[in-house]
Amino acid sequence: MTYILLHHQWKAFWRSRDAGRNVAVQIFMGLIVLYLLGVAIFIGVFLQSILEAAFPEQDVVTVFCGFILYYFFLDIIFRFLWQDLPTLTVQPYLVQNIKRRQLVQFLNLRSLFSFFTLLPLFLFVPFALSVIHMQYGSVVSLAFVVTIISLILFNHFLVLFIKRKTILSNWWLVGFFVIVLLLIAGDYFKIFSVSNMSAIIFKQLLKTPLLCVTAIVLAVAAFYNNSRFLQNNLYLDDLVKSPGHRASAEYQWLQRFGSVGNLIAVDLKLILRNKRPRSLLLFSCIFLFYGFIFYKPVSFDNNDFGFLLFGGIFVTGMFMTNYGQFLFAWQSSHFDGLLAANVPLKIYLKSKFILLTGFCTVALLLSLFYGFINWKIIPVQIAAYFFNIGIHSLIAVYIGTYNYKGLDLSKGVSFNYQGTGVVQFLYAIVIMIIGFILYLPFAMLISSWAGIITVGLLGFISLLLQDWWIDKLTIQFQKRKHKMLEGFREK
Amino acid sequence: MITISNIGKVYNGQIAVDIPQLQIDHGITGLVGNNGAGKTTLFRLILDLIKADRGEILSKDNPVSANEGWKQYTAAYIDEGFLIQYLTPEEYFYFVGKLHNRSKADVDEFLQTFIAFFDGGILKTGKYIRDLSKGNQFKTGIAACILQDPEMLLLDEPFANLDPSSQIRLMQMLKDLQGRKRMTVLISSHDLNNITDVCNRILLMEKGKIIKDLQTSEDTLNELEDYFRV
Repeated sequence: MTYILLHHQWKAFWRSRDAGRNVAVQIFMGLIVLYLLGVAIFIGVFLQSILEAAFPEQDVVTVFCGFILYYFFLDIIFRFLWQDLPTLTVQPYLVQNIKRRQLVQFLNLRSLFSFFTLLPLFLFVPFALSVIHMQYGSVVSLAFVVTIISLILFNHFLVLFIKRKTILSNWWLVGFFVIVLLLIAGDYFKIFSVSNMSAIIFKQLLKTPLLCVTAIVLAVAAFYNNSRFLQNNLYLDDLVKSPGHRASAEYQWLQRFGSVGNLIAVDLKLILRNKRPRSLLLFSCIFLFYGFIFYKPVSFDNNDFGFLLFGGIFVTGMFMTNYGQFLFAWQSSHFDGLLAANVPLKIYLKSKFILLTGFCTVALLLSLFYGFINWKIIPVQIAAYFFNIGIHSLIAVYIGTYNYKGLDLSKGVSFNYQGTGVVQFLYAIVIMIIGFILYLPFAMLISSWAGIITVGLLGFISLLLQDWWIDKLTIQFQKRKHKMLEGFREK
Repeated sequence: MITISNIGKVYNGQIAVDIPQLQIDHGITGLVGNNGAGKTTLFRLILDLIKADRGEILSKDNPVSANEGWKQYTAAYIDEGFLIQYLTPEEYFYFVGKLHNRSKADVDEFLQTFIAFFDGGILKTGKYIRDLSKGNQFKTGIAACILQDPEMLLLDEPFANLDPSSQIRLMQMLKDLQGRKRMTVLISSHDLNNITDVCNRILLMEKGKIIKDLQTSEDTLNELEDYFRV
């Protein structure tokens, strides 16, 4: 059974409308993963020498033990942000003679083929098999390997569970991040030490290898919990939810903008009334805090704005990145009607630009608080803002016309997480690099400030030319629209 | 109204539509044919939602693929893809009305005339369109079309999802509208009784070609039944 389902997925992948793009992304991802795994193997094999060099005064095994829990803690965060949920269009299978358990099994099994599952194996197992084996014997070494594998599985199924929960209710998302932030804060302010705890736990494991049973129990519990959740939620969405009373709303303040306002109102309702874009909105708010990663004091002191610009583009353009890369696909379910309705294409595209500009403006205003860290962030963010609304928006609309895979807003929410995985980050990175390329020449030749001004100015000029761009993009849209329509119709 | 010349569309080597010459003018024209005859494809071609492999479709002498002017006087409902699922029916009507410069009050007044047709299942139900039954979605789509006060109306299998009372109401409505406004209406259906009742011209499609072009008379129903009898 599992084989047949895998085979169907294989077909779905190759026969999908944008197979070419998928393959390209997969190959690119594959190369990155291979590289990272290579690095992991290298680190794993030479871990002893590395640790000895880095912490010459301490016992290698103690350092190693202190590190493990840290890793698995970070692992949860990164899995949460980047690991894709395995998806399966369950509807056609539900009424067939297939046991629910088999479908769940398939989803669980498939999810295991992941970079995150392999990485710790390469990182920790060589050390356990060599150093620990030599110092503590084979039983302890085996217990260590079993514990590592159990922890991988525990993390894996725990994150799948939490991630699926967050789709059903945004409170889980909020709760998850609050807990993570509390843990980070606790460790940072030395209220407790993850590293010490880790050392204590794993040192104990060295003494009593039987403790690895605890880890196995944890893994089994996480697996069982996830399976049970899946099995209970393996229904079509309309069966589980009972819609309450829906109120109509007219955004009066938008009506003043005529047809464009009318279209934007529909877009806003799309975002607010469908689970997927709504979660994306929440995610984007969290991404606002990514600035703390980019805005480092060193950069201000040296006027090294390149890295700051990355941050600025990311922070002010986050929602645009998330929403913009599926710009037209969001409306795939009613694209037919939209293009047959009395909506001139120019007006339609204009409405998209205004919407994207609106997102960026809100993001800019929300992110002004970074100015408290250093005033230099504000001009950088304003330049990034103009880059986003002037240039990034053009790229978003242009790329949007090449996306002809529809998004399903109404159905399959619990099995549909496309659009919050790695591809999105790739897109964001490409955009940031484009910004950086614009920044670089004048920053090198004159000064960092000149580079920032160039970026902002180019964005601003491009913004002034927006009507001209829209004319060009309308022609492009006209050329692509039949392809898009065809793809969107294919559910 | 609509002039089709030499239009052709092929899907994977299968002819979907192949019409050398066709003129559709005001009146109610019916389109019949078995599944795969190309009815929906023809609708989509007229709405420029599909790119033709060859040929041209003119709406009021302008090619539909090069000029967006037809959108102002054409209304169509093919399937749920024409509705915006996450709006309430009222919001959808206001949205469509606004695209044709009709005020909210104007739309409300229009909807009064549809109360019987809606039969309590659409207005003020507190549901989004996606939560409506298929029949009620169809009613919403049809009403939104008529709200646009179109000169050209395209409906793909409008009877398929409607209950018998609504079918009769819809036929009455189409006849009334056509009588008052000289609309051009193109509908497709598998219900031969309905279509011969409401249409004054019937086109029979087979494998993308129009093989019969009948002015409706008393014999038409028999003629069609003869064709479809296996």
